[in-house]
Amino acid sequence: MNGTIFDIKEFSIHDGPGARITVFLKGCPLRCQWCHNPEGLLPTPQLMVKESLCTHCNRCFVSCKHEECKPFHRCAHACPNGCLSISGESISSFRLAERLNENAILLKSLNGGITFSGGEPLMQADFVCETADQLPALHKAIQTSGYADPKVYQKVVAKMDYVMQDIKLISEQGHLKYTGASNAKILKNIDWLLHSGKEYVFRIPLIPDITDTEENLTAISQLIGEASAELMPYNFLAGAKYQMLGMTFPLADHPNRKEDFTKFFQNAKLIS
Amino acid sequence: MQTILYDFIVNQKHHRFRRSFPEYENLAEEFSNEHLSPIERMTRRFELLTSLETPVLLPDEKICFMRTVTTYPDCFTPEEWQTIKENHYVHELGYLSNLSPDYERVIASGLLTVQQNADSYGKRIIDAIFRLSDRYRDEAEKQGKTALAEVLTRIPRYGATSFYEALQFFRILHYSLWLEGNYHNTVGRFDQYMYPYLKADMERGLYTRESALALLEDFFLSFNKDSDLYHGVQQGDNGQSMVLGGIDEYGNDVFNLLSELCLQASKNLLMIDPKINLRVGKNTPISVFELGSELTKAGLGFPQYSNDDIVIDGLIKLGYDLKDARNYVVAACWEFIIPKVGTDIPNIAALSFPKIIDTCLHRDLMHCKTYDAFTDCIRKEIQSECDRICGSIQNLWFVPSPLMNCMMDPGVYEGGKYNNFGIHGTGIATAADSLAAIEKYIYLDKKISKTDLIQAVDSNFEKHSEFLPLLRYEAPKMGCNDEIADNNAVFLLDVFSDSLKGKINCRGGIYRAGTGSAMYYLWHASEIGASPDGRRQGEAFGTNFSPSLFAKTRGPISVIHSFTKPDLKKVINGGPLTLEFASSMFQSPDSIHKVASLVKAFIALGGHQLQLNAVNTDLMKDAQLHPEKHRQLVVRIWGWSAYFVELDKAYQNHVMQRQQYVV
Repeated sequence: MNGTIFDIKEFSIHDGPGARITVFLKGCPLRCQWCHNPEGLLPTPQLMVKESLCTHCNRCFVSCKHEECKPFHRCAHACPNGCLSISGESISSFRLAERLNENAILLKSLNGGITFSGGEPLMQADFVCETADQLPALHKAIQTSGYADPKVYQKVVAKMDYVMQDIKLISEQGHLKYTGASNAKILKNIDWLLHSGKEYVFRIPLIPDITDTEENLTAISQLIGEASAELMPYNFLAGAKYQMLGMTFPLADHPNRKEDFTKFFQNAKLIS
Repeated sequence: MQTILYDFIVNQKHHRFRRSFPEYENLAEEFSNEHLSPIERMTRRFELLTSLETPVLLPDEKICFMRTVTTYPDCFTPEEWQTIKENHYVHELGYLSNLSPDYERVIASGLLTVQQNADSYGKRIIDAIFRLSDRYRDEAEKQGKTALAEVLTRIPRYGATSFYEALQFFRILHYSLWLEGNYHNTVGRFDQYMYPYLKADMERGLYTRESALALLEDFFLSFNKDSDLYHGVQQGDNGQSMVLGGIDEYGNDVFNLLSELCLQASKNLLMIDPKINLRVGKNTPISVFELGSELTKAGLGFPQYSNDDIVIDGLIKLGYDLKDARNYVVAACWEFIIPKVGTDIPNIAALSFPKIIDTCLHRDLMHCKTYDAFTDCIRKEIQSECDRICGSIQNLWFVPSPLMNCMMDPGVYEGGKYNNFGIHGTGIATAADSLAAIEKYIYLDKKISKTDLIQAVDSNFEKHSEFLPLLRYEAPKMGCNDEIADNNAVFLLDVFSDSLKGKINCRGGIYRAGTGSAMYYLWHASEIGASPDGRRQGEAFGTNFSPSLFAKTRGPISVIHSFTKPDLKKVINGGPLTLEFASSMFQSPDSIHKVASLVKAFIALGGHQLQLNAVNTDLMKDAQLHPEKHRQLVVRIWGWSAYFVELDKAYQNHVMQRQQYVV
């Protein structure tokens, strides 16, 4: 079957054990205000425009015959400065696996593997499973919000060697307000994960005044106990891609407090 | 670290001791009027310049010898040079360069022994060295620096008996070789020939790791005191390459404590000299790669890695003896040369791959019915270009260097044990991508007609502008692990190497093909217009063995796959793959380990040479606006590092355009 991905990034060093290749799957059920991959939100392809390089030659407005350009009324293949690109490539699990397997030997020597990220990879659960089945020699990890039906969650996690599970907000209302969805399913899946015997790590974004409050971090700490956690500091540059998609980044430039956030946890480290 | 001395050098306070002697600017005219022989001129100039020197000891300095005389007259008048060049092939400046002299032998035996076997000019030069070092000794005594005075009582006349003496001896020799007129004087396997002195001293309890490091740092600073007074295309291109680690003549891994201390000293000092090269192989432990990555993190563009498994085999295939091949070192930039006995000229000329494509595009493409027919034309053109280059290098002439002659075995005048010429191959990615575009769009997909492509290229994509985005951003590119592009690169390098096979140069040596570009990534790029890979007129090639500047690669893994496909043993003149990483990649020990693993993986896959940069583009942008705030920002150029603000804008921009990988 086909899936939609928006990037493949090589040599990612913060996406699981060793150095990895990360596949970004397009589409996400959440709308976290701090999302740094806005092109991963919609499941459909989107036009990305790097305005800063545009010379207004208008060549992209000349009509073209490319099937993939039709929805945008602009040609993504016409820009002499490479300003335009379509984010979202439909690819078969076979072709994707083939591309990834080419790197198997090298990834092994890096003690790494493949990480499925997004977007929310669970939104394309069958595609992820089908691809994973074709990567028998590779270490496989998933980076997920956990927002999925427990059945779907468990099915996908079963195919993985390592789970990077987000925990954003413990308060259901807070979660609803800042991510647009309830965290009930997420907490259910986390509870299962804690007892699953899988290898996992929790990832906690430190969003100033939203997730980095003492109240929230303490509550997360209570939930995960001595499990290992990675704290991700907020970086305003995360908003860089919004403009290219004609979107607005909802958060402001607001640095993290100068505080040792690891103190709230039994076993956490800061990723920078 | 000696902070007082460091501050002195970094802030160029030592420049205040400098003096010029305008009355000697026209020395060559005097020489010419007297009809002096070249070797007599070299000797007299050395005698004169050493006599004009004032011994200066900087605060806290342990290793002395620094040029104070800024006047550096040529030995020949412009008219004489013209006559010489009419009758001879003159390489670069005409003086000897890119040699790795036998410091080991001279430091061990002392210059008195060397003098016995020297010709009369060598004897005079060595006497001049003695006179200057005696004046340094007197100055040290006068200032109450008894340890230094004592060292200078023994060396350079007699062999060194301690680490301190050996370092000071090296400095005197290195200084003298520069002053004689040789340039790109390389340092060789410093950690090997110096380690016995350090080891013995440590066994005697004279040094701890820390005190040895402090002395080494003092010594490293000496490379930065007066290197600006010598020639170079850009400031910093001075060839002071130091080689660490690797295997010895017998195949044993010889990375030692001194290798480690050198990496540490370079990291602590953050100065562009000496340039650190690290020899590694598939059996090198990951810890060595980690030490290397720690240095990369410092942002100097060091170390440059070379792969013993590939380089040694490649050199043996070219006819080098096993022991010599195992002792290889790195010349000024990346060229592999043999210390002590080799007088190769590893940078004598360069072949422009994109120029070959350009010629065949215009001359042959129209009548080539198949892609194979076209590549046949490419093959013939490379062969004839190699014939032309090699044919043009005849009757080579060098200014004779009496001291260098004493420090090479068996000397340099008649040539050394190896007298091979290295030819760079520039713009490989631009050429491979251009061929890939022709193969794919003209012959396979038939999407572009021959006439249209030629018109597009000739008009710098004003005509058929719709091809530009396709060729530039969507066509197969070397660095994307793409079969079409990579196979064309393999083809080009194979043909280049094969075309030089069997050719004998005018000194009886052979020719070696390489993957370096030096400054040709700008020069050669300006010789042609636009190219079929979507490169516009005036745009540079990638540096050395690297993707083109606008190739959108998925990351370093694809790049490594692409650039290890060619048989690099066949193009072993040298020329590294360059990978740029954002400095944020090096923040934790864990990420250092991952970068180190990537380097090791590159080596395991058969890469020959790798140059890794930690770069901060924001800093560079700010340095262009406010150079005064960023005097110490160091960047890697092509085989050497430089202070960013001292570079010409064209080089600054090129550095900033290279694709970098972020977390």
